Amino acid sequence: MIFRNSAVGLAMLIATSAQAAEFKWASTTDPQTMDPHAVNSAPVLGFLNNVYEGLVRRDKDMQVEPALAVSWEPIGDGEGWRFNLREGVTFHDGSTFDAQDVLFSYERASGEAADTRSWFAPIREVKVVDEYTVDFLTTAPNPLFPSSIANWMIMDQGWTEANYATVPDKETGNYATLNANGTGAFKVTAREPGLRTVLEPFAGWWGKAEHNITRAEFTPIQNPATAVAALLSGDVDMINPVPIQDVARLQGSDGVDVIQGIEARVIMLGFDHEAETLKYTGDEGKPNPFRDPRVRKAVAHAVNVDAILATIMRGNAEAASQLVSPAMSGYSQANAERPAFDIDAAKALLIEAGYGDGFSFGLKCPNDRYLNDEAVCQAVASMLAQIGITAELDAMPVRNYWPELREDNYDMYLLGWSPGTFDAEHPVRFLVATPNEEKKLGSWNFGGFSNERIDAVLPLIQSELDAENRQAMLDEVAQIIQAEQVYVPLYVQPLLWGTRSNIDLTQRPDNFFLLRWVTVN
Amino acid sequence: MFAYIVRRMFQSVIVLLVVGLVAFSMFRFVGDPIDNMLGQERTQADIDRLRSELGLDQPFPVQYFKFLQGAVQGNFGVSYRQGRPVSTIIAERAPATLELAFVSGVLAITLGIALGVFTAIRRQGVAANVIMTVSLIGVSLPTFLIGILLIYIFSVELDLLPSFGRGETVMIGNWSTGFLTTSGLKALILPAITLGLYQMTLIMRLVRSEMLEVMRADYVRFARARGLSDRVINFRHALKNTLVPVITITGLQLGSIIAFAIITETVFQWPGVGLLFINAIQFVDIPVMAAYLMLISVMFVTINLIVDLLYYAIDPRLRVDARAT
Repeated sequence: MIFRNSAVGLAMLIATSAQAAEFKWASTTDPQTMDPHAVNSAPVLGFLNNVYEGLVRRDKDMQVEPALAVSWEPIGDGEGWRFNLREGVTFHDGSTFDAQDVLFSYERASGEAADTRSWFAPIREVKVVDEYTVDFLTTAPNPLFPSSIANWMIMDQGWTEANYATVPDKETGNYATLNANGTGAFKVTAREPGLRTVLEPFAGWWGKAEHNITRAEFTPIQNPATAVAALLSGDVDMINPVPIQDVARLQGSDGVDVIQGIEARVIMLGFDHEAETLKYTGDEGKPNPFRDPRVRKAVAHAVNVDAILATIMRGNAEAASQLVSPAMSGYSQANAERPAFDIDAAKALLIEAGYGDGFSFGLKCPNDRYLNDEAVCQAVASMLAQIGITAELDAMPVRNYWPELREDNYDMYLLGWSPGTFDAEHPVRFLVATPNEEKKLGSWNFGGFSNERIDAVLPLIQSELDAENRQAMLDEVAQIIQAEQVYVPLYVQPLLWGTRSNIDLTQRPDNFFLLRWVTVN
Repeated sequence: MFAYIVRRMFQSVIVLLVVGLVAFSMFRFVGDPIDNMLGQERTQADIDRLRSELGLDQPFPVQYFKFLQGAVQGNFGVSYRQGRPVSTIIAERAPATLELAFVSGVLAITLGIALGVFTAIRRQGVAANVIMTVSLIGVSLPTFLIGILLIYIFSVELDLLPSFGRGETVMIGNWSTGFLTTSGLKALILPAITLGLYQMTLIMRLVRSEMLEVMRADYVRFARARGLSDRVINFRHALKNTLVPVITITGLQLGSIIAFAIITETVFQWPGVGLLFINAIQFVDIPVMAAYLMLISVMFVTINLIVDLLYYAIDPRLRVDARAT
């Protein structure tokens, strides 16, 4: 220990005397591409937010603020949105940014091959008005559009076309898969997929630099123990995530801090609402009790979320009452109460529903998707056993999990949902609306829940311009979801980042790590 | 002779084909790559489109046949995860694994033989007994635990060696080497020990028992009677005769050092093909998994073939049998 303390002390002495510094960080997943339109996943978009920029971006508190657009206003009576672009912005290769790049990036990101296509579903047409003005015409009034495109990143038309990367290609890759040319605060100077990615500050960035990094290096480290060791030994300055079981130990170590926050992701239990019969265990073939809201409510009362948070999450998470966390817009204050832990009430509900003797069913669970997911499912199963319903737990890697859910091979399952738009409408659209392939609704509503009122209100929410009316409708939907107990929300997943003590940074609820807010002291 | 070689080669090809077939029939159980490739906001139509583009909607024998078609032309397909040709990726990663395997192989052989001879000669000594006991721990502890232990001692507590990665590398042609930089050499130490420890103890124990056997042989006793020095007896006569089985075992172990580098590479985030394979499994990157498994089986089959051919050359009895039948 003596050795290490002196070494850390020396390192800090050197670090404090330097104004600018190198920064190294590690995370479990490598962004699989540098193409901002090819893959719509958090590791890719989070990483590329350092390199590329959108018309708008999110600030430290997730509020939308101007980026490549300086301002925007609705056109007419909800016909669309007009964006006034920032002048004097250049890409990393030196070419200038203008409206043509926006149009080009729209066509690229909304094309058949793009994974980001769904963001542009409400768009009818994009018109270049002049060099620094672009109109986005929507099919219906869409108050949320500007905040829904914070991760839509603008590429340079000239660069992309010259490198034959006009269409994103995630299957075979192209020039943009390995190279990047954005307008962001950092440019990619070396990219070795799966090994390391090196970023350097872009001297020509339009914004004012708040960081003091001269060079940043990202390494994916899959093994959590290795990542923790790398942080402790000072080989990296920051890791994401810190394994929950190591949080207390890191907090007690010198020279290392744990930064905790609440992620946007809500972990919940889902049910099969459509199946006539149970599919697992001895009760296979018997009528499906989860079609009865009283049984779903009994489940909600039987799960002791506080106990799960205290033991499995070691006090690092918050209980959830609805499908979004309180940090999201459109969160329903009126429905902030979650069903109390009450075994007697749960048993009474079961008797009322005609299942007083209990039943057994299959619970599907991932074991590598969410923090301690399998342990949570084990706890849920043992808690449900107390009211006489026995779960047969089947935990599997996520790569097997989604296909199982898609094929309806479950009676109950665990799901985590992080709303891409940071708004309460998002989970309603994906998890609650009646599945409809054509309208792109309910694509993650595995259980096939269907409620006419919600289906009728959803389009109104999407096009309502008045904030108060919109919240009233969202409250109504949240109320129906709670009354029907469509899902049993459990808790909001924590964010756990580990840093060296000499690092200042900002943790955003979307788990995006932005270098431009990092200071090495 | 020629007929024997042809027959063995033919058998090797069959083994390879069967390995491939088994691998492809297993890939379905590894999971579905589609969800990893499409984002949260995908639709069923996107899923179906990508599935048919990748040929995943076809039965596995068809997928396997297509893979073989490409493989015989040297085309192993494109990685789902990286969107680059698998052959390029493997060529990039191979030097890291081969250098690690080489260093730990050399380490295992030299230390293994030296310690083996030492413990055989000083059978009753305290040092020999300590070494034997410690080697028992080396055999029984799992590799990842040894790796984590070494990281905690040498990088976290003592801060002497890097905790992960390969350090700085230098490109020589297409070969990235860590031998030419200080950080590269430092980074090699812990993984090489972790990977080589098991082989080292294995060789050590083998050398020791063979050596003890040989020391009891008549010609050693005669050599002693002739009044030769201990050194000449131990190293010129005894050790030489000990090495025959050792060489056979080491040859076969070389293959497993490369193949089982997976765990060491994961613990140390060593950017070799083993780590690539682990990542491929997590992502269900079928082209990379298939190419890696085929490559490893080609390696084992080749080593076995060479060993068989060597036996044929060395052991006259095999030739006699072949002629008789």
